[in-house]
Amino acid sequence: MEGMRRAKRPVSIMAGPYGHPFHPILVTVPIGAWVASLVFDVASRLVEDERSLVVGSRWLIAIGVLGAAAAAMMGFLDLFGIPIGTLAFRTGLLHMGLNLTVTVAYLVNFLLRRSEASVPVGLVVLSAVSLAVLAVSGYLGGKLAFRYGVRVADEDAQADGYRITASGKE
Amino acid sequence: MAIAALVTWLITAVLGFTMLGIWIAKGALRAADSTATVPTRLAPPLVFGHFLLAATGLILWIVYVITDTEVLVWIAFALLVVIAILGDVMFLRWWRSRRDPTPEARLPVAVVYGHGLLAVTTIILVLLVGLGVGGE
Repeated sequence: MEGMRRAKRPVSIMAGPYGHPFHPILVTVPIGAWVASLVFDVASRLVEDERSLVVGSRWLIAIGVLGAAAAAMMGFLDLFGIPIGTLAFRTGLLHMGLNLTVTVAYLVNFLLRRSEASVPVGLVVLSAVSLAVLAVSGYLGGKLAFRYGVRVADEDAQADGYRITASGKE
Repeated sequence: MAIAALVTWLITAVLGFTMLGIWIAKGALRAADSTATVPTRLAPPLVFGHFLLAATGLILWIVYVITDTEVLVWIAFALLVVIAILGDVMFLRWWRSRRDPTPEARLPVAVVYGHGLLAVTTIILVLLVGLGVGGE
C-alpha cells in the first residue's frame, strides 16, 4: 500500500511535519467562530440591547471565513497527498466540496448582514443550515483521519508512544 | 480596476490549480522521492510555496475588494512579487525539463503561457490600483 503510506506523509513541510498536520488545528477556528456566531444570533433575539451581539456575530462570521480559507489551503495540500481514484480521495473531494460550499454560504451571509440592524430570521436559518452541513463534512474529515489514517503517523511511529519508559520500570 | 485584477487573478488561479492537478496526477510526488528513476525538476516546496502564497494573496485581494482597506493593496503587491519570482524559477525549470519524461513535461504549453501572461496582467493591475490609476 504505497499510496496509503504517501497519504500519511506531508506533501511538503508547509502542511505540517510528519504526525503533526496543520489542517486539523486550523479547522478549530472556523468551527469555533461559526458556532459562537449562531449562539450570538440566537442570544440577540432574547436580550433587550442586541447591538453588540449583532455586530459580534458578523465579526465571528468573518473570522470564520478567513480561518476556513487558511484551513482550506492546508486541506488542499493533504488532499494532494491522497492517491487519485481511491475511496479516501473521493471522501476527501466530498469533504472539500461541502466545506467550500459552507464557506461561500458564510461569505454571502456576511455580505447580506448590515452592521447594526438586527439579524433577519432567514440569515439565522442560513447559519444553522451551514453549521449542519459543516457537521456532515466534519464527520467525513474524521473518517479520513481516524478511519483511513490520512496524515496519521504509521503504526511503527505510534508504537513509540507505548514503550514502557525508564521511570515506569522502577 | 480592482475587480479586473480579481478576475485575472481568479482565472490565473484556476489555470495554476489545473497544472498542479495534472502535475500530481502524472506522479510528481513519486518523482520527488530521491529514489525516483525520472525525478521532477519542480521541487515540492517551490510548487506548494507558490500555491500557498498565491492563494493567500487572492484571499487578501477579496478582503480588499469587500472592505476597501488600502494597506492590503501593497501587501498583495509585495506577495505577488515573491509569488512571481517563485513562478519564474518554476517556469525556467519546466522549460529545461521538457525534453525528459518528467511529470511537468506533460503540462499543456498553452496553460503554462496563459497562466504566466494572466499573472503578469494581475500584477500590473494591482500596481495600478496601488498607484490610484483608473479611479473607482
